[in-house]
Parts: sequence; structure tokens; C-alpha cells
Amino acid sequence: MAAPSIVITGSGAVCAAGAQPDDILSMVLAGQSAIAPITQWDHSQWPTHVAGEIADFDPRAMVADRKLHKLVRRTDLVGLYAAGRAIERSGIVAQRDALPPGKAAVYSDRSGVIVGSGGGNFENQYDFFPLLTQARGELPAFGRELTDVVNPMWLLRTLPNNVLGHIGIKYGLKGTNACITSHSVGGLLAVIEAFEALRSGEADRVVAVGHETPIEPQMILYYYRLGLIAADTLRPFDAARDGSQFGEGAGALVLETEASAQSRGARVLGTVLGSGNATEGHGLLAIRDDGDGPARAMAQALDDAGIGPADVGMIVAHGNGTRTSDASEVAAIRTVFGGNPPPVTGFKWAFGHLIAAAGIVETVVSLAALKSRVVPGIATLRELDPEFAGLPVALGPQTPRSDIALVLCRGFAGTNAALLVRAP
Amino acid sequence: MIRNPASTPRRRVAVTGIGLVTPVGNDVATTWEALLEGRSGADTISLFDASGFSTRIAAEVKKFANVLVVDRRLLKFTNRSHRFALEAAEQAMRDAGIRPTPDDAHRWGCAVGAGMMTADFDDLHETHAYAAAAGELDVDLLLSDRPANDPLVFCRGQSAAGLALLTRRFGIHGYATSVHTACASGGQALGTALKAIRRGRVDRVLAGGFDSMISPVGIGGFCLLSALSPDNDTPQRASRPFDATRNGFLLGEGAGFVVLEEWESARARGARIYAELAGDGNSLSSYRITDSPPDGDGPIQAMRQALADAGAAAADIDYINAHGTSTGMNDRSESAAIRAVFGTETDRIAVSSTKSTMGHLIAAAGAVEGVVCALAIDRGAIPVNANLVERDPECNLNLVADVSRRGRLRMTLSNSFGFGGSNSCIVMRRPEAVDGRSGAGS
Repeated sequence: MAAPSIVITGSGAVCAAGAQPDDILSMVLAGQSAIAPITQWDHSQWPTHVAGEIADFDPRAMVADRKLHKLVRRTDLVGLYAAGRAIERSGIVAQRDALPPGKAAVYSDRSGVIVGSGGGNFENQYDFFPLLTQARGELPAFGRELTDVVNPMWLLRTLPNNVLGHIGIKYGLKGTNACITSHSVGGLLAVIEAFEALRSGEADRVVAVGHETPIEPQMILYYYRLGLIAADTLRPFDAARDGSQFGEGAGALVLETEASAQSRGARVLGTVLGSGNATEGHGLLAIRDDGDGPARAMAQALDDAGIGPADVGMIVAHGNGTRTSDASEVAAIRTVFGGNPPPVTGFKWAFGHLIAAAGIVETVVSLAALKSRVVPGIATLRELDPEFAGLPVALGPQTPRSDIALVLCRGFAGTNAALLVRAP
Repeated sequence: MIRNPASTPRRRVAVTGIGLVTPVGNDVATTWEALLEGRSGADTISLFDASGFSTRIAAEVKKFANVLVVDRRLLKFTNRSHRFALEAAEQAMRDAGIRPTPDDAHRWGCAVGAGMMTADFDDLHETHAYAAAAGELDVDLLLSDRPANDPLVFCRGQSAAGLALLTRRFGIHGYATSVHTACASGGQALGTALKAIRRGRVDRVLAGGFDSMISPVGIGGFCLLSALSPDNDTPQRASRPFDATRNGFLLGEGAGFVVLEEWESARARGARIYAELAGDGNSLSSYRITDSPPDGDGPIQAMRQALADAGAAAADIDYINAHGTSTGMNDRSESAAIRAVFGTETDRIAVSSTKSTMGHLIAAAGAVEGVVCALAIDRGAIPVNANLVERDPECNLNLVADVSRRGRLRMTLSNSFGFGGSNSCIVMRRPEAVDGRSGAGS
């Protein structure tokens, strides 16, 4: 029995650069960064001011069902939006709904949902501030007056797995599922787990989602104090790079076995070829200088796909713009690709670091770029770090060496994930 | 060119180490004894002044002092649930008698079910007093607020914090993931680990779950949903799964960990094997976020998948560790699901919910109860479903009331169902049934 080929039949994304994959790619290709002054709070007295917010955020544009708005938070709304676009474009629910009831039930049971979620924000707990004030900080009063002051749905609105549960309910998907809360790699890990579940026959189709809205005062303040936030511009691989910037958003992909996609003549956006994961294990924030983790993740993905470094057409780097992450990532690229890597790019300069959504949104944009046979440039690059001499990054567009993209993603706890996708 | 996992014989997975920190014991032996005796870990909450809450009881971990953790520098990066995790994981690693080395660290994985990301209540309280005294956050005051500028508060609050602590503590460099599907998290972590070994990504995995929600916000969140038993005067009777008078769950806390190894390599090193982690079933109810489908739809598919995945039939299962939360809705839905899957075998199969003694450990529950299912095979005993006095006729199961049972168990099954609709079911098999050899190490 041959392992099934795994294809992508639907994609969706929303972030500061747009609410459609092609729109996001157009912004990136135009060299326009969507990172702008934060509008969610008055930061005039703050030391840091910008992020990639979704402009004029309208909950109803994200999720039409207003009843649902009371049960979820902003991060869930963007996740549900991206998932909805991907599901609708793939046509899986329409196909299921045309089946007789018995077959439709099997179809639903063979349809999975795997989500990478941020796991929560600090401000979720601020909902208890009015109660703490009313109780004058005393716990007995806090307990007595709890139900008078706090929304009874507080816990449900705060569940990290809300997108998973609500996608299931809305679209009637009932198969294999997971909610991964491993910081930045969560979204890409959702794609990888979906790919693995399909290869091993646990499902016929899986919706993979990554979502996060990390732009809240307390979160940004911690990253700022840790020296991880750029003063004004995110400049990956630049000699003067000084940190990252937050963005908010979500991405989604529908993955299927080729047989499932062919059963309705679905339009194929790409093929998943292989994946890799590796952990450095030195703590929450520490990363190795030698790029050990990302190198192993990339090498594993190539091995898994049965291809060599020369077959890769472009590398979509994590490129978060911090001194150490970018340097170790370049070390890893050199380890795996030697002196001849394909064109390298990254997208965080354009819409910020989407944390749990980063890897999957970047995969969505990579598929759009592969379709256009272009490696978008890094428009904020002014002077390549001399330590990275020979790294094929550019201010403007480059031409991919083949129809295969390697997407690299890194997160807290020294986690690394790599995915190989091929354009149709 | 994709490598074909289906073309090679499927790798089997052995449970070779176990560790527990629970409300009824800070190690495996003490916990197991309490589960057989049905000794409750519930009492009036001592961790904070809960006197004003509608529920003032919980099952707390008691006299806990991280006796095994050698690397005390890590402790400042931990919250209460992380300390439970480090302790239970240390127990499991010592029990397995094996650790990652620099040569094989990349072939070790770590899969955990972690609780919801939060800042500790004391930190929230302090931020409120300083930067939100009027009830709303003053963002400018946040700039000089102590907790909001303390990187340790940040680190402890991260959803990947537990994963970071465990992979660092044990030097695990392979596949690592942290999952959260509410009360199904721990079971899903074990299932994820099983699949990672089968797929050949890793050969050994430290897998488990950890949680602690016994705080004003945690208890408050559940009180707001009226999910907890309000039996404040009789805490030890509060959790009574499948009893007609049950009225909500009892919140517990703790951690459960296992060391999982590829079967042949575990045998080759003469490891003691508790059980084979033989099957995983994973479904989504897609019904309502908190409600269980009355007909058991969702849990039914998870149990069927787990059986099929283990190559087992209903007749092979001797014990079910039920999700059994002690809420009317779950217990009836689960009973209907068990009967739908097991048919006439239902009358034969022993069922108990250890939440009757430990309470509900939320993200840790599935992992702790997975350990219970491995232990039941290894020790030849079935824990009691405590507090079952008046049976709910709609929960027509062969419940282990009053006293534990003894016997040679072939296969056991653990159910975990979460808010959000995720259902996780795992199946354990007796070592002799795999290769004719006992689980004793050499």
C-alpha cells in the first residue's frame, strides 16, 4: 500500500496586511509593511508603539453569527474567520452535505480539525478587576459577589481550544482533533499533525488552523523588557536589526488525501512533501547559537520528503528580527544547505510576528508566492549583516529555484518546526 | 517520494515508567492505595480563603515539597502545576531507569497536556491594586507595576512553560508539543506521544499532563458555570459519579507522567513494562461547548477508534476508567456511549471513575487516569468508584462500588472528554498478550 499523497485544497488568512491570501501577498510584494501605531490603547507614554493590528477590526466581518461573539474572544474570531474561508474554498462541507445521511456521518467522522492556539492572554484575567475593586481586594467578598459582577461565560470565553470546538460545531467536523499551545510553532505544528494524521490514515481530510492576537499591553511590555521588540522597524537579517514586532492574525489550510480531493475534482493549491521537528531543550527563552534545532528540523523535513537541499526552491525563514534568532537561523541554513542555499525570505517584517499563527500564515503566503513563481523581497532590509554574507536575501523579488518552499518556524521552549510544500 | 509509514510493521509502545502527584498521594504507591480504598482527597480549600464562594471544597495536593527535583534553580520558573509536573516526570524517569543522553536526546520526545495559561492570582491581585485599583487597567501605571515587569511572572505564565521546564530538566531534544483540549488534554498528550513513536519520529517520549486551577479565578470560573458540587459540608462525598444524587464535579489538581518506549527497544534493555499503550481514539463531539450529547455521539466514535487502533474487540476489555465527572450530563452521556460501543459486554466490564476520590484534575486528568489503567493491569486490581450509594438507573453500568476488585486484566480503557467537545480514549494491553512475556524487567 502506497502512502497517500497529501494535498492542500483550501486556504484562508487574515492579518494586518489583508484578509485574503492574495491580498497579503500583494502587500508583501509591494514592499509595504502593515505595522503601524497601536490603536487598542493610548501608548503615548510608552516606550514602544507599533504592531501589526488588523485595521478597523470588525467582529462581524470575522464571524457573522453575533450570538457567537459573546462566547469567544478576539483571537477566536480571527481563527474562525480564517478557518471558514479555507473550508468554504475547499468545498468539503458542500460535498458532505450532498451525501445521503449515512455517508455524510462517515464523512464527518473522517474530517479532523487541528488548531494551534496562543493558549491565552494576560488580559483575559482583567475581567476580574471590577470584582476585585468591588470586593476591596478581600477574598470572601470576591467569592460572594462573583456572580453579580463577572460574566458567567468567563471560563468558556477563555478556553484555549475555542476555535477547535466552534469549527467542529459550525461545520459538523467530528474526526481527529487537537489544540496545540506550544507558542510560535503551534500553527505550523497543526499543519504537520494534520499531514501526519492523513498519511497514517486517521482521517481523510483535516482543517489546520493557527490563530493569535497577542497585542495586549502586558504581553508587549514583557517582550519589550526582555529586549525582544524592535525600536521602530523589524529588519530580519539586517546588520542593524534590533528585535521583533507583534502582529495579530490567523491562517488556515484544508489538507486532504489526494483521493479525497479527487473525489470532487477539488482545486489543488499545493502538496505537502515532508515535515520535521526538533527541540533544543535549554529553557523557555534560550536558543543555541549554532542553529542546532532549526538545522535538525530542516534536515528531517528533507529526509521525510526524500529530497535534497538542491531541490528546494525557496526558504521562508522564521526571520523574527532578533539578533540571536536570525543569527542561529542563518547558521542552520548554512549547515543544511552549505554554500548554495536557494533564495531566502521571510514575512514578519510586513505584518509582524503572529506567534501561534506565524508558521501557518507564512505557509499560506508561501503557497500564493509559489503560484506566482516569486520569492518576495524583504523590503525593510538596508544592509545585510556582514556575518551573513552570501545569504541569498534581497530587498526585492527573487526567482524560486524550484516549485518547492521550505517554511521554518521557531518558538519558546527551543521548539522548531519545518514544512516542505510544493506548488501544483 | 513520501516515506511510507504503512509499508513497515507498526511499532508498538510500552509504558516503562510512571509518576503521580495527586490529591490522594504524592507518589504512585500512596495514590494507588487510596484509589483501591476509595479514600477521598477532598476537603475545605486551604490554598486561599474560599469562604465566600458557592463551592468552598476541592481536592488539593497535600504536603507537597518537590522531593525529587534536584535542579532547584528551575523552581523560580515554575507555578504550582509545573512543580507537580517536574515531580511526577522525575518519578516516571527514575521508575523507567533510563534518561536521554547526548547521543540519543534527539530521539526522545515530550508531549504534555498543560492547563490554561494564566498569571498566578497573587500577581493578578498585585497588578490590580497598583494599576487597576478603580477596576480598569491604567496602562501607564502598568509600566511600573511589579508583576508586569517581572520576567519570571511572564515565564511562569507562558503556555509552553511546562514543556520548556521538562525538556530542559531531562535534556529532551526531539519532537516536543504541548496540547490543551480542556479535560481531554492529558489523554490527548498520551495519544500524541503514541503516534509520534509509531511514526518513527522518536523512540521514547516523556508524556503526561499537569494542572492546578484551585485559585480564586479557577474556582470562580467553574462556580460561574455552576459546574462544581456545592456540598461544602460533606467534601469527601461531593464527587459521586454515577450516583443519582450527584450535583457537579470536585476540582482536583496534580500531574501524571509516563515514559513511553518503542516496544522492542524496551524489551532489549530489559525494562519493566507496565502495559502496552495499544490504542488511541480521538473525536470531536461538535454538539455544544460544555454539554455532552445525550446519546453519547462523539465519545462512541472515540472508543470505537481506540479499540480498532489497538486491534481489540469489546470482549477484550476488562476495565473502563470512566471520565465520570459526577455531573448528570456527562455521566448519562458516557453511560449511553459505553453501552452503544460494548453492547452486551457492558454488563461484564468493570467501570469506575477515580474522580470519585481524586476529583477532576482537568488537563492532568487523562494522563493520571491513563497511569491508573496501566497500573490496574500491572497490579491486577481495579480502583473503587467511591460514594456510589443510590445508582442512577440511567447509568446502567457494572460499577465498582464499595470495594475494589482483584483479577487478571487483559485490557483497560480510559475515557477523557473535554469542554469544547474533544474526546480522547486510550487503551492499555497486558504485556503477555503482546509477546507472551510478563512485564517484569530483567
